[in-house]
Amino acid sequence: MEHERCYIYTPPEAEERPSKRQRTSDFNPQSQLAERLSTYRKIWAQQEQRIQATLEEADSKTQEKIVNFVSASAPVENAPQTSIPTGLVVAGPSIASHGPFFARLGRSIRDETNSAYVVLTSAESPNLKTLLKNLIKRVTSRIEEDDDDDIRPTASSRHGPKVLDFDLSHVQEWQKKNRTRSIVVALQDSEAFDTRILIELVDLFHCWLDRLPFVLLVGIATSTESFEDRLSGKSIRYLDGQKFDVTQSDVIIEKLFSATVANTDVPVRIGPDLSRRLLDRQKDHVQNVHDFIDGLKYAYMSHFYASYPTVLLKEKVAFKDLSSEAFEAVRNLPSFKRWVEELLDNNQAHDVRKLLESDQYLYQQVTEHIESGQNALNTLSNAATLLTCIRESLQMAPSIRLSNIWTRAAAGELSGAPLLRETLLSVKKASSDKLAPLFASLKELDIDTSPLDQDIFQKELEKLVEDNVGSGPLRSQDDVRNDSLRTTVIAQKVLLSKHKAALSEQDKAYSSLVARFNDGLERYFASAFIDPRTLFLSEILMYDLKSPHTEVFQPKPRFAMERALASPHDYLGCDCCSGKQGGESILSTTQPATAILYQLYLESGTLINVSDLWSAFNAIAGDDEDESKTM
Amino acid sequence: MASVKRKRHHDDAEDATPRKLRTRAAQEEEENDDDEEGSEEPDVQTPSRRQAPAVNATPRSILKKGGLFNGGNGATPKSTRKLVFETPSKAAKDGTTIVRNADRSARRKSNRRFIERTLNGDSDEEALDEEEALAEQILSDQEEAADDQEGGQPEAAVPDTPSKRGRGRPKGSGTGKKSKLRKERSPTPPQHLPPHEEYFYQNRPGGAKTSNNTLSAQSLLNHDEYFSTMQTYAERHEPEMEFLLELHSRAHDQWIFELEEGFNICLYGYGSKRPITEAFTAHLYKQLIGQEPYKGTKKTPRIVVINGYAPGTTLKDILVTIASACMPSSIKLPNQPTALLNFILDYLFDHEPAHPIPIILNSIDSPYLRKSPAAMLLAALAAHPSINLVCTADTPTFPLLWDVGLKAQYKFLFHDATTFAPYDAEIDVVESVNELLGRSGRRIGGRDGVGFVLRSLPENARALFRILVTEQLALLYMDDAGGEVDAPATPKNKKVATAKTSASESNQGVEYRTLYHKAVEEFVCSSEVGFRTLLKEFHDHQMIESRKDAMGTERLFVPFRQEELEGLAEDLSGDAL
Repeated sequence: MEHERCYIYTPPEAEERPSKRQRTSDFNPQSQLAERLSTYRKIWAQQEQRIQATLEEADSKTQEKIVNFVSASAPVENAPQTSIPTGLVVAGPSIASHGPFFARLGRSIRDETNSAYVVLTSAESPNLKTLLKNLIKRVTSRIEEDDDDDIRPTASSRHGPKVLDFDLSHVQEWQKKNRTRSIVVALQDSEAFDTRILIELVDLFHCWLDRLPFVLLVGIATSTESFEDRLSGKSIRYLDGQKFDVTQSDVIIEKLFSATVANTDVPVRIGPDLSRRLLDRQKDHVQNVHDFIDGLKYAYMSHFYASYPTVLLKEKVAFKDLSSEAFEAVRNLPSFKRWVEELLDNNQAHDVRKLLESDQYLYQQVTEHIESGQNALNTLSNAATLLTCIRESLQMAPSIRLSNIWTRAAAGELSGAPLLRETLLSVKKASSDKLAPLFASLKELDIDTSPLDQDIFQKELEKLVEDNVGSGPLRSQDDVRNDSLRTTVIAQKVLLSKHKAALSEQDKAYSSLVARFNDGLERYFASAFIDPRTLFLSEILMYDLKSPHTEVFQPKPRFAMERALASPHDYLGCDCCSGKQGGESILSTTQPATAILYQLYLESGTLINVSDLWSAFNAIAGDDEDESKTM
Repeated sequence: MASVKRKRHHDDAEDATPRKLRTRAAQEEEENDDDEEGSEEPDVQTPSRRQAPAVNATPRSILKKGGLFNGGNGATPKSTRKLVFETPSKAAKDGTTIVRNADRSARRKSNRRFIERTLNGDSDEEALDEEEALAEQILSDQEEAADDQEGGQPEAAVPDTPSKRGRGRPKGSGTGKKSKLRKERSPTPPQHLPPHEEYFYQNRPGGAKTSNNTLSAQSLLNHDEYFSTMQTYAERHEPEMEFLLELHSRAHDQWIFELEEGFNICLYGYGSKRPITEAFTAHLYKQLIGQEPYKGTKKTPRIVVINGYAPGTTLKDILVTIASACMPSSIKLPNQPTALLNFILDYLFDHEPAHPIPIILNSIDSPYLRKSPAAMLLAALAAHPSINLVCTADTPTFPLLWDVGLKAQYKFLFHDATTFAPYDAEIDVVESVNELLGRSGRRIGGRDGVGFVLRSLPENARALFRILVTEQLALLYMDDAGGEVDAPATPKNKKVATAKTSASESNQGVEYRTLYHKAVEEFVCSSEVGFRTLLKEFHDHQMIESRKDAMGTERLFVPFRQEELEGLAEDLSGDAL
């Protein structure tokens, strides 16, 4: 039983062709897979583009700032630097995104300034010597020829004494040749560096500052204060720090969500359950942008891979491209059944018969419904964005994120929800100085707001504001400031009565405008916030399955193993081991030996006498003689 | 884990396990004893005892009555006769009340103790053990009494008809039912505890008592028995395991798709996953060879297979193999793993291969790949778009090996791939058992293995091995003799002797010099160089081991037990080889 450690695979000699062929002959579950996958690739490519754009936009500002800082801190002739220019990059707790961030930063620094850029991580810097070796290696991009360090004879032996491997004069030499403006050294995970190393590094850089133009970038996951606390006062005096805040991952996720899921121009979406799951996982566990993207991608992959009717999502799919199986699959969708029942309730039995019998007719209906379904979903996203925008510009508390509003809308929870009513109420109460910016921000949204006739409202509002002679802004009749409470005492009883203050002409006109706008909004929201799961073909337009997603991203290996051992029947499904006592499987001789041992182990206390264990095992497993055989 | 275990611990009242059965049986026996005592009691004592309860109708009396009915010998004519003799009032004043009161106070006491114990924790549980047993017995008596009072005989549980059950968890076997059951049974009050208290309650120490039984030395398996048993052992679940494999093989296309999309795959679950990776590799190979750069040409796709469980797997081996798969052999590779990795990654960036290079890594969580730089470098490798990593993980807690950063780099999709296949390559059973028993040395397949090697060696080598074995045996016999002088000639003396040999293990084996001289005497070899070459052959096959004793002299020995050595010596002298 010799097992080689590593090898290149070579197939065994024996040919197993016939058995293979047999399988392809019967029903192929993956027919038209290629079409589906190509559709997937097309749709995902669009999404990926959006993601890339969002990501680049997200930290482009910070990057620009840092690049400017680097180029500004390059030493000027005849003005010796007294301290090391240091950028404190507060990159937040999502350490997984630090690596990509510093890589992107390095690219832009190298491109835009004439500097050398080196990233050092704590893992490769256990001590100052190794750190310096790595630093020198990266800066001078010298490939190490030999393993035996320290005794490497260098070319500089002619000029003087041999220079050791970790001597910064290597860099000096290189700097003489290349004349870069600065050498940027980034410590990616400063928290993980040994404090001693950090201090020594700062001291050393300071010593060399008259010869080498160092710029230090420190990645900080916690706070600048805690970084400062770690250094001694002396080292801090050597540093000339400036703080940069990187966009935090939750903000980026929010942006990504609005770009990919709540976008108004997406043919396929993930459903509310899945997106809630993704967002919760982000919030509670990982805080990693790429994990979110991976999750989204996997959802798309599973959708197109496993669901046959997704072949219909292909753009301009022709009838002849589709097999009858595709239509059979559509007829088996739950939403198809719902739809058919609906039709039957409307006494459209003829249509139903046609749907069931004619593929051609079904094809027409499906293409229509896909389009209308996509439109409905787009409108829903549109409305969700609009609602978020209104809440934001009216500065309503609590501030609710688009992702939250969208998931609720997609789950069909928003029509008539308190959230919606509350928002509409505040629109009603808004004064003109609040409504104007609202209109402005609505205009900025690149979504379709045409159903609201918002331009007309805006013009009217502008006119009203112009005509307004009063000092204050225009108020609507629902504004609380137009109410006054009057107390009257009649027969020793206090009566409270609300009174509307008399409205001026302009206020009246404004009130009617607000009322019309509000009605428009209400109508729009009512029509937009449908429950998407009631749509015909909602299974195709929305992927909302939890099953492969959770297992694939949040595995429970321990649970799987314990389950396999505690109740092997769950996996093996054999006749002999099924538990008969209401699921609590009893120990039986037929179970795999390891499972028996494991269950015995579970039943015992903290200490186990091997002899007892063995005899118990022997009692169950029968004629087996020794526990060593169970492995 | 601890919690699961604890839960089980609580459950075991209703688990029908042999262990528990035994204890329960013991309890029942005690109870029976009790009953017997109870029924004997009246005979010994005055008849009034018997009568009084019937009149008083205390719970106790009902219990007794019930017990008698159950026993089938209740209401004997004897008892009625005795009723005539004594008056009930007198009986009440009799000793029964005292006994009952004593019982009651004991009950109260034990109740108090239970409460105390739950309040203070049960640190001195062991000290109180006996009393506790008594208290419990009394309590259970009371409980039974209450039971009987309420509903008389509890209905016998009707056993469910054994029905065939499908794969997966049966419905209604969730926690609800269990907890309900437990609630009925649990003797101590763990309810309504705040969560943190509950945690400590469930994880409290105690109950760490084991019996003093020991395994007898005679029942140990030796190699020959082990191998012969293993060969005759037939897996009962072979078809089911085949079926599991076939189930997993249906996912091959899906896995390939996932790899194409830039994810890496990690398989976990109980059982060796080598059969799966093997099948998947074959599938991938077939798929690749039917594709563009290979179709119609003689070129073959290169799939790197790494067995992480193989002892001594180093990162460098892995990287060199990968390098050989993706670049021409003429390129000189750097020596250091980190440099080599960077070199490979740069090369792949510059010369993008036609398809990502598949790497099949068995047991990514093996101890050899767990050391600190390995995971980091593997993650960097896996993060490269031109690398597809499919790995398996055997330990149940493997995700703890990687932090968020590494996980993001690995980009794993996890799949449950339970196979129930034996870990015969991943775990060396013989070796681990030997380690457990404090024996050293790797065996090459027991006596047969040695025989096989010897057959392929020249005559001289066989002669040398024979000398070594006989010398070693002679030494063992001498030890035995020494032991016999000390110990009286009991049947146990063999055990004593073996214990002694293991104690003087440092003196085990033949001195190098002695062996050399013997070998020269028997004309096995003429020079030390020749002697060494012969030994080297043995060393290579792990048939002998050398050790320095306390004096610093080198000793050689064959790492087998006495019986096996005897067998070997027989084989060697009897020309069986």
